[in-house]
Amino acid sequence: MSTDLVSPPEADGRPEALTSRQKAARYLTNHPHLVLIGVLIVLIILTGIIEPNYLSINGLRNSALFAVPIGVLAAGQTILMLTGGIDLSAAMIATGAAYVAANQSPRGALIAIIGGLLVGLLAGAANGIGVGILQVNPLIMTLAMSGILLGLFTSWAQTIFSGSTRMGDFIRTVGGGSFFGRAVPWAVVVWAVLSVFVVYMLRRSGFGRNLYALGDNAVASRLSGVRAWQVLIAVYTLAGVFAAIAGLLLGGRVGAVDLQLAGVFLLPSVAAAVIGGTSIFGGIGTYTGTILGALILGVLQSLLTFLGAGQAVQQMLYGSIVIGLSWLYTRISAAQ
Amino acid sequence: MTAVAPDTLAAGTQPAWRRWLRRHGWTVGVWILLLALIVYYSTLIPRFGWFQVASIVNNSTPLVFLAVAQAIIVIAGGIDLGVGGMLVLSSVTAAQLMEGQGFGVTLLIAIAIIAVAAAMNAGVGWIITVSNVPDIVITLGSLYVFQGMALAVLPNPGGGTSEGFRYMFTGSNTGIGSNPWPAAIMMTIAVAGVALWMGKTKGGLSLYAVGSDKTAAYLSGIRAALVKIKAYAIGGGFAALAGLATTAIAGRGNATTVGGNLTLNSVAAIVLGGVALTGGIGSAIAVVPAGIILFFLNPILTAMGVDPHGAQVIQGVLIVFVMAVTGLLEWRRRRRS
Repeated sequence: MSTDLVSPPEADGRPEALTSRQKAARYLTNHPHLVLIGVLIVLIILTGIIEPNYLSINGLRNSALFAVPIGVLAAGQTILMLTGGIDLSAAMIATGAAYVAANQSPRGALIAIIGGLLVGLLAGAANGIGVGILQVNPLIMTLAMSGILLGLFTSWAQTIFSGSTRMGDFIRTVGGGSFFGRAVPWAVVVWAVLSVFVVYMLRRSGFGRNLYALGDNAVASRLSGVRAWQVLIAVYTLAGVFAAIAGLLLGGRVGAVDLQLAGVFLLPSVAAAVIGGTSIFGGIGTYTGTILGALILGVLQSLLTFLGAGQAVQQMLYGSIVIGLSWLYTRISAAQ
Repeated sequence: MTAVAPDTLAAGTQPAWRRWLRRHGWTVGVWILLLALIVYYSTLIPRFGWFQVASIVNNSTPLVFLAVAQAIIVIAGGIDLGVGGMLVLSSVTAAQLMEGQGFGVTLLIAIAIIAVAAAMNAGVGWIITVSNVPDIVITLGSLYVFQGMALAVLPNPGGGTSEGFRYMFTGSNTGIGSNPWPAAIMMTIAVAGVALWMGKTKGGLSLYAVGSDKTAAYLSGIRAALVKIKAYAIGGGFAALAGLATTAIAGRGNATTVGGNLTLNSVAAIVLGGVALTGGIGSAIAVVPAGIILFFLNPILTAMGVDPHGAQVIQGVLIVFVMAVTGLLEWRRRRRS
């Protein structure tokens, strides 16, 4: 910490003493996202070399479609990680939301979507109350919530939500359909709108500032008048709604829902936020980084598919890349 | 009002048993809760005998070992999401290598698996200390790597093990019986050994030192990085032990078991066992009953007539409730002092 305060004047004093290599290193340190963009481009080119057909609108579209649920779930993870939290129930909230939406689809798209979002709202608010008021550790609170939701929805699937597990046409179009001659998927548009909202919220709004403040130093932010419990309830509720949106998009793409719908996306959503440079201890991170992280994971999925790698190799590579990228990112952003 | 005077007289004048109870209250509490649950369970079902006891003890061994693995690492200031993956990996490796072998060979294989698992997890710990990336991130990666390796070792469920090996963990050559003692002895030796080491030796106590304040530990001459790697290695060994128990119970290996869920159960167990996720606080002894309770809740709730899905809901609510109460107690304690 103290070196941070001392070194800048020294460096500013004689910038000409830096070699171009040092300058480049410093530039990267100050703009760590460039590294992620570089990795993304390299991965896209690499995939293109292995499968030339990939470098087309259709190929890139598939990667984008895979990145959407990860990116939307990771929006929730990012805003929670900024406060020092995490949401292990995100995948189950997404599944539950999709399940309710599919069940209510015969009654019209509007009711289906509202029903789905309501699941996220309620489960998220419950998480927020647990973490903000009851002071339960976020890891435990959301883990327990995941178990609770799984139990509830498995038994509801046979009682009050028995019946349709097929998504309505409107949600299917938004989740899996495209426009401009199958070039731009609607799901990507939804993700883009959500991204603008999250980036704006984190950078410009008072609520966003509070998230950073709370994660950076909870005591200091409390002493300066931040009501932590209100912020926490709000942010967990918001993350729950994001998870529900991810569930609706995913359910729309797949068409029919079951209770394993979103499970595989939980850890990738954490990984996307982490690769994007969000600190799991709070206070540091941006959603822009997370978006890049989600896109990298999306392209990676296409690459692994084209390589014809089996499930085993895919998982090993996936894990190694999470370790490698987070290591690289930490080295670059800490090399001051 | 009269209670004010003894309270202010500092802890030194308290009788020894009160001090002991204060320090180990949580451990005692969890054991009492387990006993109470067993007594309650015995009144719930028509026939309660050794078969039921054996079933509870045997089937909870994997979770108990996995929770101890997690506890060691968390006490040393880390968290290992990869332990579930390590369990699956060592379980399928054992099933693959042990099929058709005699007892002696399977025992050697088991020891080798524990050693290799410890070495691999030490590597994970090394990466964490060198890279300065948070534990939770690196071990998220190692979870995937281990799970992938498990699928590579045994793509389809299968394999086998020797009868003697199954007896070691389940008290019966077929995995089903009324003899809880082998499993209980395995648990006691392993857990008592690690608890003694952590509570009484310099090497073990340094885990607590590093977990509660890394910088202070380093400044008092503890090689913090090495201690953390050691904690990960021992944790890896215990995760492998959990995997061996899984293979012994099932008699085969299954690489499609989701390691992530097992990890999450281990985290729930250590929290119920009073280990602070912030590091430096807790004991392996209290984690054992907590692990058994987590497993045991399902048969209890089933016996009470709750359907399995409802049981899952109640389990989640209970964990949150326990955590909220602990948080409240901690908050009150801090306000008073």
